[in-house]
Amino acid sequence: MKIKVLLRGFLVKYFNGEKERVIEVEDGLSARQVVERLGISIEHKSFGFVAVNGMRVMIDDQLKDGDELKVYPRLSGG
Amino acid sequence: MLGYQNKMLRIDLSNKTYSTEPLNMDWAEKYIGGKGLAIKYLYEELKPGTDPFSEHNKLLLMTGPFTGTPVPCSGKLAIASKSPATGTILDCSIGGHSALKIKYAGYDAVMFEGKLDKPGYILIEDDKIEFKEASDLWGKGSHETETILSAEYGKEASILSIGPAGENLVTMSCINSDYYRQAGRGGIGAVMGSKNVKAIVIIGTGGVKVNDIENTTKRLSEILREDTTSEENMFIYEDGTTAFLEACNDGGILPKRNFSDTTDENWTKYNGEVLLQYRKGKRGCGSCGLGCGNFIKIGDAVCEGPEYESIAVAGPNAGIEDPQAIVKANQVADDVGLDTISAGDVIIYAMEMTEKGIYDFGIRFGDKEKYIEYLKLMAKKEGIGADLALGVKKLSEKYGGEDFAMHVKGLEYPQYEPRGSWGMSLAYAVSDRGACHMRAYAPNDEVFEASIPPYTAEGKGKMVVDLAVYNAVKFSLILCDFWPLGMDRMAELMTLITGKEFTEDDMNEVAMRVIHIARAFNQREGFTRKDDTMPKRLVNEALKSGPAAGQKIPQEAFEKMLDDYYAVLGWNNDGIVPDEILTSL
Repeated sequence: MKIKVLLRGFLVKYFNGEKERVIEVEDGLSARQVVERLGISIEHKSFGFVAVNGMRVMIDDQLKDGDELKVYPRLSGG
Repeated sequence: MLGYQNKMLRIDLSNKTYSTEPLNMDWAEKYIGGKGLAIKYLYEELKPGTDPFSEHNKLLLMTGPFTGTPVPCSGKLAIASKSPATGTILDCSIGGHSALKIKYAGYDAVMFEGKLDKPGYILIEDDKIEFKEASDLWGKGSHETETILSAEYGKEASILSIGPAGENLVTMSCINSDYYRQAGRGGIGAVMGSKNVKAIVIIGTGGVKVNDIENTTKRLSEILREDTTSEENMFIYEDGTTAFLEACNDGGILPKRNFSDTTDENWTKYNGEVLLQYRKGKRGCGSCGLGCGNFIKIGDAVCEGPEYESIAVAGPNAGIEDPQAIVKANQVADDVGLDTISAGDVIIYAMEMTEKGIYDFGIRFGDKEKYIEYLKLMAKKEGIGADLALGVKKLSEKYGGEDFAMHVKGLEYPQYEPRGSWGMSLAYAVSDRGACHMRAYAPNDEVFEASIPPYTAEGKGKMVVDLAVYNAVKFSLILCDFWPLGMDRMAELMTLITGKEFTEDDMNEVAMRVIHIARAFNQREGFTRKDDTMPKRLVNEALKSGPAAGQKIPQEAFEKMLDDYYAVLGWNNDGIVPDEILTSL
């Protein structure tokens, strides 16, 4: 399936400074699995959350073809 | 202890006299400074039932042991009093440079007592204190006031001032410094106005003694490089708090049209990407490593910011999509001396009241011209502004609309929608100064983290306590919110600067004292569980859009969160701090 991945904040370093890319992965992967494919550790304190099609989801939610996955770093403050 | 000046300046406005006294170092060890130490002083010195506008109320400026040192992000000042908006304890945190100047003038704290007989301003120039006439400044905006005083005293002077809103005792008026930094909430500016103090000018030429300066400076450089200005923290330099707009929108907590829904499909019209195209400059506070301030100028509208809160309230929550109007509203609110959050919430409440035909305030969602005009009227208490200046709580009692009156204890809601972050409803309810997001910031764990479910009461009492513990220490030290340093680092910094060993456990103990004593102050004023509330809208109306669509917070879930929160803190089921804790404070 094709997933459009958008990276936010310093995470753009994983795309060499680009904010978005379309990637092809196996069907049925979860957000966690795709994020890990990008080399981003969700266990790291600087990882934040993910949104699919502009809505926050839980990290183990499954993705489907054509989804837009946005990956946020940890935001602090308010 | 090193890091402190060991001195408090006490200014008697009624008699135009002043004195100095040693800072109570026993209290400083237990409450550090900033928020904690300020509340301890006011707890001891303000009689229960004090009228916030009477000469018996006090206004306290409190620094911390790091103020004036190279500890990163240590340039903030706590300003505390009894709140005229809520009747609770009130401590605000203001950026800029005033905290450093107070410390360099030789003081840890400045306590204002009594009341000037006519409008004046106070000059603190090291050990020289002068009471000045301000009849020519009275009525002027904060920006013009600062320009005039700055021309007279030079750029090295730091100025705290109020606008017409503070003079007119509007209970949502702020104190300004460096033009665009505010002690914003709870009507702290009105307390200053009630004392006839238009401004405080501070010139300080001294220094601060720290432990083992060579090693401390070396270690602070490492911490600045490795921990403060790390790549993950730099979003605050690059985007400022505009970064929160997209995250809150995706997270289902960006409120829309007076909190009737979340997630605005038009958010890209006024988001950070749009606003930052108009950036003209950057700025940070004294001793800052992150520099969050963005000067934005669109047409004739200019401000430092707008910050997330001010964008969200004047933008989606007001149905306004024009970025220039959002910047203008921020500029006007700062100048007239109004808290953008509370004043904005009043206007959006009035918009909904008019739309629903409950009472005609003459303003509807999307009316950007009137939004700006109403800010000016509120500050002067003129026309419709006299009514609006009452605030959401009193307005709803007078005209109705209590179901969507978004406040706790009379302090209007910040711009994080709790139905998308249930813990936030608890955080607002139990915050020591009414609805505030700076006491425990639940979205940090429930929304901006990928594994904690937002729509449940389970575990939220403990979560909010943990968040409150962290912030109680941070705001007592007193550090900026935007450096997400750990509690271990805070203890290390205390040890470095003071030369006295502090552990993480010591920091946690400080936090518990601060949380207890703030509650004890409010308890003495009659606040109990009955006052720890959430607006009815959150219980009765489900969200329609965004990831939290369908969510509302059942009353029993809210009550469970409250039960858990009190239990974790050792308070009784009515939210009362027991005697054994009170006597240990």
